[in-house]
Amino acid sequence: GSQVKRNAHHKHAVGKGDPQVYAGQAGEPMFKVGDTVVVRELPVVFYTRTPEYVRGARGEIATVAYESPAAEDETWDRTDAKPEWFYVVRFNMAELWDGYTGTADDTIQTEIPERWLQSAT
Amino acid sequence: MTDHGHDHDHERTVAPMVDEITDFEVLEIALRELCIEKGIFTAEEHRRFTEFAEQIGPTPAARLVARAWLDPEFKKLALSEPMAASKEVGVDWMEPTGFGTPSDFTAFEILADTPGVHHVIVCALCSCYPRPILGNSPEWYRTPNYRRRLVRWPRQVLAEFGLYLPDDVAIRVQDSNQKHRFMVMPMRPEGTDDWTEDQLTEIVTRDCLIGVALPKPGVTINVITQTRPAIHPASSS
Repeated sequence: GSQVKRNAHHKHAVGKGDPQVYAGQAGEPMFKVGDTVVVRELPVVFYTRTPEYVRGARGEIATVAYESPAAEDETWDRTDAKPEWFYVVRFNMAELWDGYTGTADDTIQTEIPERWLQSAT
Repeated sequence: MTDHGHDHDHERTVAPMVDEITDFEVLEIALRELCIEKGIFTAEEHRRFTEFAEQIGPTPAARLVARAWLDPEFKKLALSEPMAASKEVGVDWMEPTGFGTPSDFTAFEILADTPGVHHVIVCALCSCYPRPILGNSPEWYRTPNYRRRLVRWPRQVLAEFGLYLPDDVAIRVQDSNQKHRFMVMPMRPEGTDDWTEDQLTEIVTRDCLIGVALPKPGVTINVITQTRPAIHPASSS
């Protein structure tokens, strides 16, 4: 068993937690709470965690969440991937869905890494 | 008793627990035994994780909400440092590995309902759920049906759970699609003045903590929605 190649992940976060183990590694966050952003239409090959339903949509930063490598890199165990900031982004349902039948104030929030976001202003 | 060439007593033989082992069970045993044989994990580690998974449940989360209703200072802690507040109700998010569970992470956030905003959680991509404090996710939470529809028709889905929200309450769906795990802190209902922490804990059901129900005096179990009986039931005995 000692010859089995393991990823280092089960050891490096002990005592800190994940994503806390990546704190301080992403530099300054590009966005702050209240900023308006647009979700980029990045190509998706094999894997992403940015939902299709928000691609190209305009939203507002609700939380500057934490630093972590993006799921698109972590899922392939790319240990050299640089951590980046994650944000909880709030979208207005009536703007997101054509023919939305709820109220004009209903919202949906989803978490998105910085690479997927650009400033809307 | 027996007339097929031997003399043991069939009536005294222990019956098998299941008639047939499923393909899933065969593969589970094969995978587990291979992993242990190759040293990927030990039998002891497997037992430890199984025991962890068996002792989790929604009670600590319900107590956390009840305590927050009674203690404004604790509510502040719950909203600003939710994992510190979790410890106060016996849940250490760093368990059982020292860095949290590998799939639930250690980025917990509590979404507090207000008179104007009602939260409800989903994981549209899979079934992400705050397991350390809420236990295992309900079966319906993992279905493509709930995941597909809640993000698009939240009011209709909530209505199917028996939760009708007026138009002056905005619904906020939280899709937990990365490392954050979310839980809803509903508002304390009317008619619970002078209630103890234990009494309040009882009415904060798992469904209230997901956001598909509201706590109600006298209701201490999850919602059971009224559904029409099947027109062509699978068995009509």
